[in-house]
Amino acid sequence: MRFKHALGLLSAAAMSLALAGAATAQDKTVKIGVILPMSGGTASIGAHAKAALEVAVDIINNAHPELEKLPLAKNAGLAGLSGAKVELVIADNQGSPATGQNQALRLITEEKVVAILGAYQSGITLTASAIAEKYGIPFLTPESVAANLTERGFKWFFRTTPIAPDFVRIYDQFLTDMKAAGAKTDAIALVHDNTEYGSSVANTIATGFKEKGRAGVIDVAYPVNATDLQSQVLQLKEKKPDVVLMISYTSDAILFAKTMQSLDYKPPLLLADDAGYSDPSFIKAVGKLSQGVFNRSAWAVGPAGSPSAVVADMYKKKSGEEMEDTVGRQMQGFFVLVDAIDRAGSTDPAKIQAALKATDLKPDQLIMGYQGVKFDDKGQNVLASAYIIQLQDGENYVSVWPKTNAEKAPMLPYKGW
Amino acid sequence: MRRLLWPSVFLALAIAYPLLLASPFQQRLGALVLLYAIAASAWNIVGGYAGQVSVGHVVFFGCGAYAAMGSYAKFGLSPLFGIPGGIVIAVALAAIIGVPTLRLSGHYFSMATIAVAETMRLIVTNTEWLGAAVGLSGPTVARNVFDLSFISSLPYYYLFLGVLVITLLITWWMTNSRMGFYLRAIKDSERAARSLGAPASRTKLYAFMLSAALTSVAGALYAMMVGFVDPESGLGILISVKILIMAALGGAGLLFGPVVGAAILVPLEEISNSWLGGKGAGLTFVVYGAIILLIARFQPGGILSLINRTVGKDRKPARAEGAGHAP
Repeated sequence: MRFKHALGLLSAAAMSLALAGAATAQDKTVKIGVILPMSGGTASIGAHAKAALEVAVDIINNAHPELEKLPLAKNAGLAGLSGAKVELVIADNQGSPATGQNQALRLITEEKVVAILGAYQSGITLTASAIAEKYGIPFLTPESVAANLTERGFKWFFRTTPIAPDFVRIYDQFLTDMKAAGAKTDAIALVHDNTEYGSSVANTIATGFKEKGRAGVIDVAYPVNATDLQSQVLQLKEKKPDVVLMISYTSDAILFAKTMQSLDYKPPLLLADDAGYSDPSFIKAVGKLSQGVFNRSAWAVGPAGSPSAVVADMYKKKSGEEMEDTVGRQMQGFFVLVDAIDRAGSTDPAKIQAALKATDLKPDQLIMGYQGVKFDDKGQNVLASAYIIQLQDGENYVSVWPKTNAEKAPMLPYKGW
Repeated sequence: MRRLLWPSVFLALAIAYPLLLASPFQQRLGALVLLYAIAASAWNIVGGYAGQVSVGHVVFFGCGAYAAMGSYAKFGLSPLFGIPGGIVIAVALAAIIGVPTLRLSGHYFSMATIAVAETMRLIVTNTEWLGAAVGLSGPTVARNVFDLSFISSLPYYYLFLGVLVITLLITWWMTNSRMGFYLRAIKDSERAARSLGAPASRTKLYAFMLSAALTSVAGALYAMMVGFVDPESGLGILISVKILIMAALGGAGLLFGPVVGAAILVPLEEISNSWLGGKGAGLTFVVYGAIILLIARFQPGGILSLINRTVGKDRKPARAEGAGHAP
């Protein structure tokens, strides 16, 4: 009896699964696979990205004359494929490299997607793109920054986001411009945690600065999620660097701001490497103590009516959140991928790959602050770049560099509180 | 002879499966079922037969995975060469962990194993040589066949099937040896077994070490197929839990219990994720959890014990409880 009972329940569960799974088949759509963390600790990233990509699909599939500068926006569907629509097939990587791989395989062999976008976590991008490489399907990562991803000799892998060597270039040019404006920028302190992000970025910046002839680099390391940062701040206070570059996650960034105030330390120029300093909770907690901090971001809302402002508005309507750097990069990567499919005029993977390699987008065709999109032999976007933004009123970042995109002039020296 | 009938039928089905269902995703699913069946069967030796519920088995899984990837990433060798290394490290670690923790009983043993697993994960996360937080990757483009980097899942499938058969043979041999009788006696009542002269501590330790060695092989095979390991995917506590649930669901302490558990849970997880995962909201885990809950509620002894009992009832009503040695 009990066996029958349990069996009945199980088959009911199986049937409801089958019903939920019945996919609706549509003609004349181009399926694009997307692998994202939709569950687990980073599920919110996946949810935000999903909303952003749905906005992007809306822009592509419907006529948006107000965004005519963006490729694909003006008319409905893909002109190169006689108006075909784009369809997202989103898969959950569950934060696991093995699951990411399973889903990549499923997207390619069962869903017949023509290309894949993903997969947020660098480790999962690594394994999922290996499947795409074996099957000869283009894989574009809009956000994974691990250096080794583009060092594997892959032919089907592309990356639009800026990576650590780009940060070196951006900071070097920014500091050169600040020096020209009268700031001292000789002695630089790199403050970073001991995570993969903190130590690898600090390493790349230290070696990059040395190559560019910036000799006076001081290294100040601390354990991630620190409970006390007094010794690090005292060290800075004693060495008196001209520039302090912070490579920190949110909780440490907040503690640094508080400790600097309590020890009354203000570096002449405080520059942050995105991460914690871009987190809205950082601004809420210590924005008032961090007036004048510079930060890196590839996203900046332009004046009303500009493509980025229109897109930011659409995103906010869809998700209820403000647009920020990560979702912006994801949306941008998707546009680049679909633009290549449109130019290929075909869903043949080899033609899409060729079109991706021929990609040459100009800054005014983008929503992000890249200097363009153009891939090198390894698939890295060589024109990936970012803005420098500054917290000028304690609540909102404004873009201050480079000059062509600046809303306001950079404010020096660092004001603090 | 009759005893061999069903295992042979299942083996024939397992060999034929990828040839009958040719889709690459189904083949990969089959390979994953076999992989988890190996890991769960290995856990079964100490968790099922000896009744020592280890939640830290991922440590041994990680030994294998890191040894396989390390032999490629650090020495440029085929990941296959990592397998013996992984076994040696896992067995040594099992001895070091086992001597103090196997004295603990019940939940305390489980808790100690969790602590060891988490400590290991943190150590590896901070060890630069083992790739720290970034992890180690294997050969992405195979240099030769020994790199075991295939496009198709078929080679993995048959490799895993071979290892699973060996694992089950070792388990079967163990249960019928003196050690198996000792283990069952210890599981029923350790004190009684000791008073009858069974060397409880030593037997438990041997079972733990054997289980560690086989789990390490599963870890190495996993890393070879995925081509990557990082602290979360190689040493995350959830892998232990998954292995444990599979064994318990199928029937802990039964030879084919873990295989049945893996054959149900792996497809369930992958298929529910494929259908529901993209919608967000974690529906996958709701369905997955609900089914585990149903089975735990209606058949806590595991699915295989239910089948054994039902079949036994039909055939020999007089010995309804005689089939198997269900807990």
